[in-house]
Amino acid sequence: MSPALFLLLVAGLAFIGWITGRARAARFTGTGANRPHSLPGYHGWYVALWALAPALLFLAVWGFVSPGLVDATVTATPQSAAIRLDPADLTAEVRALGTGALTTAFHPEVVPLVPVFQRVQTHYDVIGGVVALLLAFAGGAFAYTRVKPDFRARTRVEQLVMAALLGASLIAVLTTLGIVLSLLFESMRFFARVSPIEFLFGTLWSPQTGDSGTFGAVPLFWGTIFIGAIIAMIVAIPLGLMSAIYLTQYAAPATRRWMKPILEVLAGVPTVVYGYFAALTVAPAIRDFAAFVGIPGASSESALAAGLVMGVMIIPFVSSMADDSIAAVPQSMRDGSLAMGATTSETIRKVLVPAALPGVVGGVLLAVSRAIGETMIVVMAAGLAANLTANPFSSVTTVTTQIVQLLTGDQEFDSAKTLAAFALGLVLFIVTLLLNIVALRVVKKYREAYE
Amino acid sequence: MSTIAPALQPPPKPQPARVPTDWTTTSMQGRIRRRYRSERRFRLLGAGAVLLSFAFLVFLLISMLGQGLRGFTQTELRLPMDFPAARLALDPATLAGPNARAALAAVDLEGATARAADRAYGTGGYKLLSDGAWLSVRSAIQADPQILTRRADIWVPTSTVIDLAAKGDADAEAEAGYRLLDARKAVRTSFSMAFLTGSDSTDPTLVGIWGALKGSLLTMFVTLILAFPIGVLSALYLEEYAARNRWTDLIEVSINNLAAVPSIIFGLLGLAVFLNFLDFPRSAPIVGGLTLALMTMPVIVIAGRNAIKSVPPSIRDAALGIGASKVQVVFHHVLPLALPGILTGTIIGMARALGETAPLLMIGMRAFIASPPGGLADPATVLPVQIFLWSDEVSRGFVEKTSAAIIVLLVFLLAMNGIAIYLRNRFERRW
Repeated sequence: MSPALFLLLVAGLAFIGWITGRARAARFTGTGANRPHSLPGYHGWYVALWALAPALLFLAVWGFVSPGLVDATVTATPQSAAIRLDPADLTAEVRALGTGALTTAFHPEVVPLVPVFQRVQTHYDVIGGVVALLLAFAGGAFAYTRVKPDFRARTRVEQLVMAALLGASLIAVLTTLGIVLSLLFESMRFFARVSPIEFLFGTLWSPQTGDSGTFGAVPLFWGTIFIGAIIAMIVAIPLGLMSAIYLTQYAAPATRRWMKPILEVLAGVPTVVYGYFAALTVAPAIRDFAAFVGIPGASSESALAAGLVMGVMIIPFVSSMADDSIAAVPQSMRDGSLAMGATTSETIRKVLVPAALPGVVGGVLLAVSRAIGETMIVVMAAGLAANLTANPFSSVTTVTTQIVQLLTGDQEFDSAKTLAAFALGLVLFIVTLLLNIVALRVVKKYREAYE
Repeated sequence: MSTIAPALQPPPKPQPARVPTDWTTTSMQGRIRRRYRSERRFRLLGAGAVLLSFAFLVFLLISMLGQGLRGFTQTELRLPMDFPAARLALDPATLAGPNARAALAAVDLEGATARAADRAYGTGGYKLLSDGAWLSVRSAIQADPQILTRRADIWVPTSTVIDLAAKGDADAEAEAGYRLLDARKAVRTSFSMAFLTGSDSTDPTLVGIWGALKGSLLTMFVTLILAFPIGVLSALYLEEYAARNRWTDLIEVSINNLAAVPSIIFGLLGLAVFLNFLDFPRSAPIVGGLTLALMTMPVIVIAGRNAIKSVPPSIRDAALGIGASKVQVVFHHVLPLALPGILTGTIIGMARALGETAPLLMIGMRAFIASPPGGLADPATVLPVQIFLWSDEVSRGFVEKTSAAIIVLLVFLLAMNGIAIYLRNRFERRW
């Protein structure tokens, strides 16, 4: 008797409830003032929901409670009292053996407890399942007795639907809350070991296993800004802006129709593909070029390679933001300029772009926020050395690279090294949030100016 | 005194007669030419920007295809196996019986294969073979037990060096060796199903993507069944029912912010909440799916709201007018009409989730997993993470395999985006 079987049985009961409730309501006849309030289907749903909801709620709670009960029962057996092991370790091992997660025991003496565990587990599973079935039956029966011509089943069902709608939209709030709380909580633990001043203003980054090591994140911040906000933007802003101008002002509508989706493909390529491309093709080419020209300190994991590829990835983003803001400039301004005898390019440079500038700037800020949060390209192409350098041919590291670096690998979760990743995540979250808020505000202000 | 005043004032300048600009003078013609030249330059600059972006995309795709297509092929070596002489403790009768597996496992096929290679290609011949060459011998025996009674030629995968030499990508020595083998008609390079059906391995000649692909499919399944209903219900609530108040604003701000949060932050959330707090299994598709669902949901909500917004109010008014309740209006009329738009947004969100790597690295889906996951709670990896892991490998043989995996991933994404575009063109109505 597995939990899945009970789940299936509960669902079956609910289905029966739906059929019987519907059938009972279908027999109601009456016209005028005696007309039944709700359609038979709503009565069916009412019964089915009463059968389903309490039982599922109970099973969910039972899922959290029963492992504790099972463990308590297993440790209370005389066999386990004889074993000299911490009860928590003992139950964990027996559970792993009993469910098949572990095939051989670390401590052979716990093996006799495995059948005991399985017996107790089955026992509690059956108890939970039977209670759930009873609840489902009781709920369904209660609802069935309420199926009457004047019963407002539709209203009740719709109330539940509304509750589900509200619940679904609250998940976004919960997620935001979850992000903020988990980042804050773990960062607090980090800042209890490393002072925030050292973290934010220190210039030496060298995390070691355990609590030793220095955590000055300035080189990381610099690397992130250098790659994401400087190099990538040097590529993305001119190319994106000029693409948008060409596609909106010069290209024929037919050309624009197929050119724009192709440009969007650049945004749809997974970042891991860009990262691989940057590491395999772009980075060696840049290193060879640097060696050829004779630039010292050329590394095979250069800031330039990561920044260039990231810039290309951002092009469609900048382009579509610029496209929107240029399209929002009133046609009269463009017509006025053209009527004065200005050429198209003069109109664009002297009228359209200055008028669209706030929108373009907002778009660039959004692009920057996306670039500094980008992970795979920098992980694969930008290296790990925390250098504080402005040489684009040398290796720098970024916040996201270090988060990945700190959290992959098997170390205990309580060291300053792993907690540092959450502090970095918090900084990243706050910065991207601020950038987004400012950018959206700028774009909105600008839209209002022309509406 | 009166003579001073005119002296203080400057003498009136003679007003030049207004003459129309003479456009035919060389200086004016020069100016016009310059302006037109700069116009052309600007236009070319724009076209150049678009073309440069295209060129980059084409270069990226061609370089992936150029390296990746070879990854689907595998060089094989003809291995003459003299089974009677090898004296394996096996006979066709045992293999037909119930203990076939145990009997096969007890035999040193690996050694027999290596000895056969040494005999056929000189001492050290076993180095020509892939580490997994004996697996081909085993499957040949399983396919036809009678093979044990005679000599047979079996095609087995070669080592990475020979494989690369066959594809013209190795050093001179290896290529010379390959040409010798080729002259003896002992090698062939052909399309290999093994890459599509296998899982991760330490030997590049044995790797396959099925394990990662299955992990991706399971993860996407979890993502879809969570993100789609929640996203659609949120969009319906916000667009159709929500009152304009502080709470609604809070929900809207949260959704818009979540859409812009870097994906790695979702990985940190998944690690802190699902793994450390709720103690879910590491590396499991269910955790990956949950994390990606939280990331995909805002995308679906935003697309869904736009689709719902585009359903004209007259539909709602008509339904309300004939006595439908507010829930009936939305679920019977608005939702079906908005569904194509919602589905388009969902597919685009799912495509993004399918290509996502960083959050899954955070929740431990980067382990080496040599068999496809059996269920939602089994350790698994996903296609993009597999690409990342292979790209880190030192062995040269992994380069083409990584690119081949990228091709598979891009084909999936292209198909999803194609479906989205088709849906949009086929079902989207302009009111």
